[in-house]
Amino acid sequence: MDAFESNLLRGGTRLVADLTEFFRDYKIYDTIFAIYAKGNTRNKGLFLSRFFAWTVLPNYHVSLFCVDEGKTLLSTEKLRGWMDTVTKVIDRDELKWAWLVVLSDRDLSAQIVSFVSRYDRKELGLAVASTTSKQIVQSSNQIGRSIGSQLKLKKALGA
Amino acid sequence: MPFVLLSALVINGLLVNYHVTGGPLKILFLGAAFPLGLLLGRLIYVRRSHVQILFDDMSFRVIKGSREAQTGFWRSFRLVSLVLDQFGKPNLRLYRSAEGEYVDLPISRTNADPQRFRDYAQSLVSGIRVRKATPQVVEAA
Repeated sequence: MDAFESNLLRGGTRLVADLTEFFRDYKIYDTIFAIYAKGNTRNKGLFLSRFFAWTVLPNYHVSLFCVDEGKTLLSTEKLRGWMDTVTKVIDRDELKWAWLVVLSDRDLSAQIVSFVSRYDRKELGLAVASTTSKQIVQSSNQIGRSIGSQLKLKKALGA
Repeated sequence: MPFVLLSALVINGLLVNYHVTGGPLKILFLGAAFPLGLLLGRLIYVRRSHVQILFDDMSFRVIKGSREAQTGFWRSFRLVSLVLDQFGKPNLRLYRSAEGEYVDLPISRTNADPQRFRDYAQSLVSGIRVRKATPQVVEAA
C-alpha cells in the first residue's frame, strides 16, 4: 500500500489526472478506504505547459479509492458494497470518474475475475489485485484499463 | 549563486572605483566573491527562509527563518492528509474538521519522509481521541 501511494505521490497518474491530496484510512459512509485521493484532470506545470493545460484540458474532479482487504475472503457482495459507496461519492462530489482499486493477500476467485472484467460502467474504473499471485484484473472500460497503464499497480505489487 | 554574482559585481565596482583594473590583485579580490556570496546567501536563507518543524506528542511549532510561523496542538485536529504543492512536493495538511478549516505544514522543505511523518501525525491525531478516559462502571455490592 505504501509503495502504491508513493508512486501516486510522485505523479504516477499525471498523464490522466493530477491527484493532489491523499488520505489514509479515510472513512466514507461506514467504509474505511486505505487510500483516498482527490484531484482533477487539469495538470499543473510551469508557464507554457500550464497555459496549455488551462486552455485545452477540461478541469474535471476525479478521485481514487483503494481498499486493502488483506487475508479476508473477497466476495462480490463486498465489492458491490464498495462500488456503491464510490458511486454515492461520485454523485455527491460531482466527480467525472473515479478509480476503485482493491488489494487482497489471497488469490482471486473466478467469480471476482469474471465480475470485474465484465464491469463496464464508464464512471468507475475497477481493479482487483492479488499481492500473493500478482494477478491484476481490470474492468473493461477505459478508466479501468488506465489503472494498469497509468497507476503502475504491477510495479507496486512487485510483479 | 545569485549572491556570488552580486558580490562579484559589487567587488568589481569597488575595484573600478579604486582604479584596480587588471592583474593578479583583481583576480584575488574577485575570488573573494565566491565565499562572500555563499556566506551572505546562507545568512539570508537562515534568517528568512529556513524551515524547522519542532514537535512532540502533544504539539508542534513551525519556525520559518527567525520567527515562529505556526503553532498548534495535535488534539485540535481531526484529519491528516498529504497535499502536493504546485511543484509536486508533498506537504502535511491538518484539518480541524472534515472539509473544514485546515493548517498546512511545509514538510517538503524539511528532510522528513512525507509518508512516515503523515503516519506519525495521524497516530497522534487519532490516537489522542482513543485515549480518552471512559467512566468505570461501579456496581453496588
